[in-house]
Amino acid sequence: MPRALAKEIVIAAGLRTAQTKAGGQFRREDAGRLGAAVTRELLARTGVDAAQLDEMIFGCVGQPQNQVNVARVIAIRAGVPQRVPAHTVGRNCASGMQALTSAVVQIEAGRGELFLCGGVEVMSAYPLTYGPEMTALFEQLSRARTLPARLAALASFRPWHLKPRVALLEGLTDPTCGLIMGRTAELLARDWSITREQGDALALESHSRAERARANGRFAREIAPVMPLGARDGAQSVLADDGIREGQSLEALAKLKPYFEKPDGVVTVGNSSQLTDGACALLVTTAERARALGLAPLARVRSFAWAGCEPARMGLGPVYASAAALDDAGCELEDLGAIELNEAFAHQVLACARAFDSAQFAARELGRGRALGALDLARTNINGGAIALGHPVGCTGARLVLTLAHQLRESNAELGLATLCIGGGQGGAVVLERCGA
Amino acid sequence: MSALDLALLDSMPMPEGAPGPGGCVRIERPEPGLAVLVIDPPHRKLAVFDRPLMRDLAAAFDELSRDRALKALVLTGKSPTAFVAGADIDVIEAIDDATRASALARFGQQLFQRLADLPLFKVAAVGGPVPGGAFELSLCCNRIVLAEHPSSRIGLPETQLGILPGWGGCQRLPRRVGVPVALETILTGKLYVARQALKLGLVDRLAAPENLVRIACDLALGRTRCPARERGLWSVLVDRNPLARAFITNAARKDVLKKTRGRYPAPLAALELAAAAPSTSLEQGLEREAQALGRLAVSPECKSLISIFRGSEEAKKLGRLPGGAEARAIERAGVVGGGVMGGAIASLLAEKGVDARLCDLARKAVDSALVEHARTIDGALRKRRFEAHEARAALDRLEGATTLEGFARCGLVIEAVAEKLEIKRSVFATLAASLAPDAILATNTSSLSVDAIAAGVAHPERIVGMHFFNPVRLMPLVEIVRGSHTNDETVAATARLALRLGKTPVVVRDVAGFLVNRVLGPYLDEAVRLYESGVAPAQIERAALDFGLPMGPLELLDEVGLDVAAHAAQSLEAAYGERMKSSRLVAKLVACGLKGKKSGAGFFQYEPDPRGGRPRKGEFNPRVTEAARPHAASTLRSEDVRERLALALVNEAALCLEERVVESERELDLATVFGMGFPPFYGGALRYVRSRGARNVVDALERCSAAADVTARDGARERFKPCALLVERAR
Repeated sequence: MPRALAKEIVIAAGLRTAQTKAGGQFRREDAGRLGAAVTRELLARTGVDAAQLDEMIFGCVGQPQNQVNVARVIAIRAGVPQRVPAHTVGRNCASGMQALTSAVVQIEAGRGELFLCGGVEVMSAYPLTYGPEMTALFEQLSRARTLPARLAALASFRPWHLKPRVALLEGLTDPTCGLIMGRTAELLARDWSITREQGDALALESHSRAERARANGRFAREIAPVMPLGARDGAQSVLADDGIREGQSLEALAKLKPYFEKPDGVVTVGNSSQLTDGACALLVTTAERARALGLAPLARVRSFAWAGCEPARMGLGPVYASAAALDDAGCELEDLGAIELNEAFAHQVLACARAFDSAQFAARELGRGRALGALDLARTNINGGAIALGHPVGCTGARLVLTLAHQLRESNAELGLATLCIGGGQGGAVVLERCGA
Repeated sequence: MSALDLALLDSMPMPEGAPGPGGCVRIERPEPGLAVLVIDPPHRKLAVFDRPLMRDLAAAFDELSRDRALKALVLTGKSPTAFVAGADIDVIEAIDDATRASALARFGQQLFQRLADLPLFKVAAVGGPVPGGAFELSLCCNRIVLAEHPSSRIGLPETQLGILPGWGGCQRLPRRVGVPVALETILTGKLYVARQALKLGLVDRLAAPENLVRIACDLALGRTRCPARERGLWSVLVDRNPLARAFITNAARKDVLKKTRGRYPAPLAALELAAAAPSTSLEQGLEREAQALGRLAVSPECKSLISIFRGSEEAKKLGRLPGGAEARAIERAGVVGGGVMGGAIASLLAEKGVDARLCDLARKAVDSALVEHARTIDGALRKRRFEAHEARAALDRLEGATTLEGFARCGLVIEAVAEKLEIKRSVFATLAASLAPDAILATNTSSLSVDAIAAGVAHPERIVGMHFFNPVRLMPLVEIVRGSHTNDETVAATARLALRLGKTPVVVRDVAGFLVNRVLGPYLDEAVRLYESGVAPAQIERAALDFGLPMGPLELLDEVGLDVAAHAAQSLEAAYGERMKSSRLVAKLVACGLKGKKSGAGFFQYEPDPRGGRPRKGEFNPRVTEAARPHAASTLRSEDVRERLALALVNEAALCLEERVVESERELDLATVFGMGFPPFYGGALRYVRSRGARNVVDALERCSAAADVTARDGARERFKPCALLVERAR
């Protein structure tokens, strides 16, 4: 049953930073600063008075430990008046999309009209932490007042206590099923019989599309240049996504060894999304308010949905969520002119494509009489996806929506879908409708 | 205890609105054994050691000395962040008799000694500005507690006004913190913030303003303790050790001479007194202080420095509207043009708390400005001028862009693009279309007319010139150029922004060269002419330095850029005719590729500093000799060279006042000192004329005018013809 949103809600404007390989150009950044940079630029270009914002909502998975509620830090550093509240949301890889849907829900409920939302992730800054044994040792030491007590504390030390906990690895591993994300993709590859070559082919396509898009200046209107922190003489602002491999080839991809399951796996670093730093900001409001602000909206939010699924097969999340979102929007998969389906892993995308088109899957998992439809790969990730552009986890959800909104204009399409799989077994989906002429 | 010379006090002027006896202070007795002496004169916003306050302090000290039941005294101001602003500068400015000045010093010393002699445990509870005499009074107490507040500034800045701490500061401070720290405090005249003051030992303890008096009372009564500052062993090893003293004194003297080139007597006198203090008796030291103060207070250097100080204080009022209300504050500003100046202006804005957006068509220029800004902030952080979160905020505030999008919310935009009328007009037109109608459009032009740039732009009343000098961070002056439509609100808001950036504004009329460049024009050209007529370059440079200018004219031309200078000279000639007729040599040098420091060579050769600092000056450039073919060695003496340079400058300055380019003589003097480094000990170009005597100056100008090489030159006689203002004053 189609279900319209309670109000006409639009993405009035949006900007993102370039997405850079973790450990690369943005390695000295912090989430607060990167988010603030793109927010400032968005406010400046739209000419919106930040005092008018009802709230700022940002998604971030790995919040820096010295920037708790990073959305608030972003707000203050972006020059937003202190009176504007801010909060941070988390839904793993879809946190950026959650920020958007949270704003939508608040606008629907009449709790605010003008929101600045987005997502930010600086994976370069993920920390190494001491394990519980070492932490306990420090605690004991700080409580020890006498020399004998201190010596007793030190006596419990073993060299292996120094082994750090790697936040990156732990964050990407599902604690309920014990699988690191890449292994969930391996599972899907076996479920749906997707070969190594098929995955590599999709990866190659992602890079070539992205390369073409970058060369055509397709991303120019999305990207706000940022001068990275720690810049020295002669440094340049970062203007373009740098994960795109020019001249990527099947031969080069074929040489890579499987990363998550050796020796028989099919998922490699070449056909997986890249660890990336990036931020994205969107101005979300009612159509009427956008008009009053003199802004020509990018797109209208037609519907959205969140869905849960099996953690071990989280990669299929988009299918569950898209089914619900398309229902609410009152349209079919084939009605969509442009689709952004996050390329967490090539095999995961291909698995989704098969699942969309499977009547069996629809019956068993979605309780439907027929398959959702064929996913036209020619209309999906038209400008490349996370394999080439990177996946700054908390940011991607917002970034996909921004790219989709622009793509509706480019493709002269009426409707579009942005959807991602979410670690922990979820899917998120947003259906956008083009605004005006 | 010697009797206070109350007759001397009576001879001091009584300020307006001063209260009757006892009106400036009050003594509170919150508990037995404790008295709190509050300095709270009703006739001033911030107390000053004027006649009524000194009278009332004398009476109060007298009363306290007779009270047998007292054990403790707290000395404080009307609020935790308002104590006393120091001595009465009006009195020092007016005094013209050294004996009387010494007597006033002695009076203050004796008055403060009364406090020191009270058999009570005394605690000074001070905050806000605590300069000079205020600090000296506090030094007479057993302990000093300072309010930990951003407005707290404590120190002995007297040498900056050409005098020295004459109320016991040169004696008591070295005994308290040792000679090295005392010398640094007194010779730099720096006013220290709370943390630094504590670290250096200038004060004993800090307290939050809300707790200041309570803690001072507790200390005074012995309820809490704060150990006395003891120099201990250091006193023997350093302060009173003749060898150490000689070493320290020599090093300090060399430093002072280097900075002052021997033109300012005050720091040297203060140095001698403070270094000798721990080794002399207090009585002897105080007498020497009084003598020295007497001499210095009547010196011309002192009067000049006070005049400049007054000028700066008045300049602060430019940020107010005619009615007295504060002009609007600019919270977001734009800069168009990311060259050396534009980038530096944007960086300074961001550093001082203004959201700044810099635009340049070339991304490379924007990037270098951003990198330079990051470097500046990083340097300031390392020098502890910022805390980490403040440094981050300063970095955040600078935005870079390559289009004029994003400037809509700016309250003021400064254009610093190429000196081409069409480009500037086009920038203003584009901005006017997207900015609020009352957003200020300011131009940093140095050679074009503000009116010309404003022509055709909507709401011309908000258009103004905001002329910075190069290098932006170092040069303190900003010329605020009033176009014929510019309204008062625009001038005041622009001045307020300039003050926020730490600059001194001066309002000038929209004439070619405005003020500073116009006055420099004849001076710089005269230098080139002297060179062409056979005067050695070294002699020319030395003449200027001997006069007291910070840099020689030929080096200054190199600094400014020979291309810029040639262009400026052309506009001045076009506007003012004969007297601005300039030598073609500079243009010729530019045509040969010599552009000054920025190109590695101009009149002099320059080597880049390996440590990345400013380029170092080398030998005179032989290519210039080739191009100029100067005459055989000139017969002009050094004094003549100096006269030519100084008089060319001074005559033009006088003409500027005559033509009302600035409103007042004081502003003109201030602008010459802050804009071109006219020697502060002269107080400014026209003050120099006054002190030398207008008759003397007119005669000297006429002599120059009649000189052989001058008459031989086109337009030179016009340059040295005394202007009407000078002639009038010479009568």
